[in-house]
This record gives sequence, structure tokens and C-alpha cells, in this order.
Amino acid sequence: MNPINDLLKILSDFVAGIVSGIFAFSPFLADLVTMGLAAVILCTFAALSFMGLTYVERKVVARIQDRLGPNQAGPFGLLQPIADGIKMFTKEDTTPANADRWVYNLAPLVIAIFALTTYAVLPFAPGVVGTNLNVGVFYLIAIGSGSIVAILMAGWGSNNKYALLGAFRTVAQLVGYEVPMLLNVLPVVMMAGSMSLVDIINKQTTLDGNPGIPFIVFFPLSALVFLISGIAETGRSPFDLLEAESEIVAGFHVEYSGMKFALFFLGEYVNALAVAFVFSTFFLGGYAGPILPPYVWLLLKAALIFFIFMWLRGTLPRIRIDQMHNLNWKFFVPVSIVHLVVVMALMKLFVTDPAQAEAFGGILVAPIVQAVILFVASMTVLLVSLAIAARRARVLRLQEEAILEQRRAENLAAARA
Amino acid sequence: MTVQQVLFIVISLVVLGAALFVVTTRNLFRAALMMMLAFFGIAGLFVLLEIGLFAVAQVLIYIGAISILVIFAVMLTRGMQGMVPRNSQAVGAAVTAAIIFAVLLLILGPLRVTIDLARWPVISLFAGNASPREVGGIAWTPADRAIPPVPETYIADFGRALVDLNQYLLPFLLIAFLVDVVLAGAIFIARQRRPAEVIEERRLRAEEDAEEAEAMRRASASPALPEGAVASAVDH
Repeated sequence: MNPINDLLKILSDFVAGIVSGIFAFSPFLADLVTMGLAAVILCTFAALSFMGLTYVERKVVARIQDRLGPNQAGPFGLLQPIADGIKMFTKEDTTPANADRWVYNLAPLVIAIFALTTYAVLPFAPGVVGTNLNVGVFYLIAIGSGSIVAILMAGWGSNNKYALLGAFRTVAQLVGYEVPMLLNVLPVVMMAGSMSLVDIINKQTTLDGNPGIPFIVFFPLSALVFLISGIAETGRSPFDLLEAESEIVAGFHVEYSGMKFALFFLGEYVNALAVAFVFSTFFLGGYAGPILPPYVWLLLKAALIFFIFMWLRGTLPRIRIDQMHNLNWKFFVPVSIVHLVVVMALMKLFVTDPAQAEAFGGILVAPIVQAVILFVASMTVLLVSLAIAARRARVLRLQEEAILEQRRAENLAAARA
Repeated sequence: MTVQQVLFIVISLVVLGAALFVVTTRNLFRAALMMMLAFFGIAGLFVLLEIGLFAVAQVLIYIGAISILVIFAVMLTRGMQGMVPRNSQAVGAAVTAAIIFAVLLLILGPLRVTIDLARWPVISLFAGNASPREVGGIAWTPADRAIPPVPETYIADFGRALVDLNQYLLPFLLIAFLVDVVLAGAIFIARQRRPAEVIEERRLRAEEDAEEAEAMRRASASPALPEGAVASAVDH
């Protein structure tokens, strides 16, 4: 073992060895303690990354908007997350008088739990994964739907009309964007032939462990739609309609203060980071990469995706609710279905596995050829659908302008008369 | 007791407690949340059976979709808090639940029953030569208690069973067709009507209203007619 490349694996084996030495009398207890330790480490990692990310995001967005960002607490404002934490802890913990107490108080916990359980299946390095589920992809999608429940609980429990409105919006958005997300995970799952995240990464590496062709080359359209749906699923800007300050104050968490509010915040950031990790696993080859150790590669890829999130947040205004639903149901879903059918047909036609070619027919090609064919097909679907959408949008805009013009003329005529 | 048995008992208690809460609480919203907890417990039972696929599907479908719909329906119900639950169908529900439980016990549980149709009163006329058949699931003898392990490839097997002509292809296609029909219906109901259509609908409705009003006016304006005339008109 290379001590630098396999640092995480060596450390985890070391800890597991100590634990099994202490609990030598009961292998079950040893397993339980090891898993508990792993869970604690994963949750701590997520919570610490939340602290760091709030600082980084504020700094980056400030740079984009030509501001300074936090710069008072410590050098370069580095202690800002700690100051924020102290502020959150010391704030008064309020509960609305007519709130449904149980539901109101449980909601932040549920959202944090569902956000943190995502990390159980993420592979951080070869052999370092909470649990290698054979239904890992399915698990991620299912856990994502759990946060809807928590937001509904918060919206209902607060007994506040803005909170309820925010919860309703959230459900419409989160349930809706699950559909394109699933439709665009399917090509990846079919290509890897497995729903296990480790298998998906292995499929993107060559047999001797070097990085192979990442799936973003095979399915650029899937990667794009997955990224945008991922942002919508975590409710980040420009899809932050669930907490639109100018319309519904703060949406579902308007009544929460102190640490409960912080838990909602943590849920948002931890979910966003999880989407970044999942995207790098599905489409960028996960921890596979040359020279640098695997965990560094994974962190770099996830950081790149998270930077794109921050970039979008700093540049794009919030989209309207009808635009959000139109984008999903009238663009993403049909395009994803067409893309899925095209990709499925091509994957059956051009195969790389000789055994499969013999059993089911199809043209045997090298992996790189298959990648080029799928890339061209995926890009064609993307560009054609964008062209159709652009033409349709132009027609609609012209119609709208014509109607406005007519109304203006009528008003003018009425004013003269 | 093994760890699995302890976990099974704990999860079952959670599921049963949550289910009991659902049917006894007066707060519909909390009932819906507790139903979610019960569904979650059932997902836990699937995990205990080592079929992760069904556990995850349970969470995705029952918690992520069905319960959310139920909560929406509950939120749109008026006066849902603190109302007195009235149930005029309690007896019927109890009998149905008992029958379903008995059937499940018969099919899946330890009971084994020999059904001899040839000896049943009416059926014996039609099926006089039917041979007795044994109904019942797993034999509950201690030797049989070891459940065979779930095969590694159960997901692939499950997928193949769904597209196998000899297994579940037809139900699978029927469900797909049903979902298509439902989607088309939803789009039809929620579609944006063209102004011409809206005007036409309003005109039709106005005509219907006018006819109804006319009929009512006539009915109230002609009480002088004898009883027999009205009755014969109705007869024709």
C-alpha cells in the first residue's frame, strides 16, 4: 500500500483494528462500535464542511458582486463561522404560540438526519465507503425525497401562512425535479450495469486503476440536466423559491430561530455538498485521477462543482415559479426521455463487451469509439432541443409583444375618446 | 434471541404503535406523519430481510410520494384539528381487517389447510371429481425456520422477471399503460384552455342554465293541470 494514496484506508483499518481488539469478546459489538465511529466521523466531516462552506461561499459571492465579504472576525474573516455559531447558540429559542409543538420541533432534526444519511453510501477513496449498497443510486434518490417531509413538517408546524406557502412551493419543486434527475441517472446506471456507486466509479476507471473515460463524455446532456436539477433539489439560488425573501419572507423556516434555523441551513449546505459529491461520482469519475491521492481528486472535483453552485448564486436572479415549472415539465422531462431512448438504442447497437455482442447482437467497437458516438448523439439531442426551445420562446415573445401593442393602442384610443 | 429477532420485535412495535396512533389520534396531520413512520418501519423490516431494493422503493414510493399526497389532501381538509372522529363503519372495517388477516395468515403464515372442494355443499355439484388441495405457505416446523439467503443477483432477477413473457410482463405493461392514461388525463384536466373554448363552454353552460330555469318556470306556472296528466306525461 502506498501510504499517501491509501491514507484514508490505512487510518480506517487502524481504527477498526483497535476497536476489534478492545471488543474481542463480541464481534457484533465490535462491528457496531466501528460503524458508529464511522457515522460520527462522516457527520463531523459534513458539519465541519458546512462551517467552511458558509465562509467560502460568502467570500466568493462577495468577490463576484464586488464586495469584501466577512473580514472583521480574525484574519480575512476566517473566524466568521465560529462567530456565527456562537450567535446561533446564544439566540433565544422561540416557538410560536399556536405551533404544533412536536412537529415544529422535530422538523429541523428530520431535515438534518436526511441530509447526513446521504453520506453513508459516498465512496471517498478505494475501500473507504460507509456502506457499498448495491442499490446506492436508488438510496440517494429515496433519501432526497425525505427532506420534502421535513419541509412540510416545518411549514405546517409553524402555523404561519408564509411558512405553509413555502412548504407547498417546496413540494411542487422537489417532487417535480426528481423526475429529470432520475431520468438522467438512468443512462449512467445502464452504462455501469449497476446501482452501486463503487461499481459506477470502477466503470469509469481502466482495469489497472487509471482514470478511464468519465461518463460526462458519454452523456453531456445528462450531466447538465442532473446538475441543474440538483441545484433545484437542494433549493439553492436561482431555484430558492421556497425561501424567497421578497415574496414569502423566508418560506418554511420563517418561524425558526437559533440552532433550529442553523439546522435548516446545515441541511441545505450538506445537501448541496452531497450533490457535488454525487455529481463527481456519476459523471467525473469520482476519486479516479492521476498522480494525486484519490481523496484529493474527489475533493477537487466536488469543490469545482460547488464553485459552479456559488458562481450561479452570485450571478443569476431568482427565477419565477411558472418559469421553474415550465423549465422542468416542458423542457427537461421531454428532452430527457428523448435522450434516454436515443442513448438506450445506441448502447444496444454499439457494444464494447464481446460476450454481450455474441449474445444479443450489435456492433463490437472500442470503448473510445462508443464514447465518441454517444457524445455526438447526446450533444445532438441537446443542441436540437435548445434550438427548438429558442424558436418556440421567440414565437411566444412575439405574440406577447403583439398583444401588449394592441392593448396599448386600445388604451390610447380609449383615452382619446 | 439473536440480534435480528430483537430488531424485528423493536421495529414491529414501532410500526404497530404508529399504526395505532394513526387510527386513534384526532389530529389528521399527525396521523399522516405517523403513517410515514409506520411505512419507514416497514422499510426497516425489508432491510432485516436483506432486500435493500424493496426497502429503498418503500421509502421512495410510500414516504416520498404517497404520504406527501396524503398530507396535501389533509392540509386541504377544512377544520381538521380537534374534530371528533365519527366512524359509522367501525364494525365493517374490523370484520374486513380480520378476514384479510386470516387470509394472509393462511397464505403466508404457519397455517396449513386442506381444501376438499368435492365435499362442499353446492360446489360438489360442479366439481365432483376435484382432488383435495393443500393451501398454506411456509411450514412452521423448527427445522424449516432457516430462511434461504437472498441471492446476490436478486435485483437482476427481479428486473428479468418483470420483462419475462412467462412471468410478470403483462401486469408490468398494464401498469405502464395505466400510468400513461392517468398522466394523459391529468394533462387534459389541467390543460390551458384556448379563449374560444372557454367562451364555448360558458355559452353551453348558460344555455343549460336557461333551459333549467325555463323548465322550473313552467313547472311552477302550471299547477292547474290535473294530477293524472302529469303522471301520464311522466309515464310517456
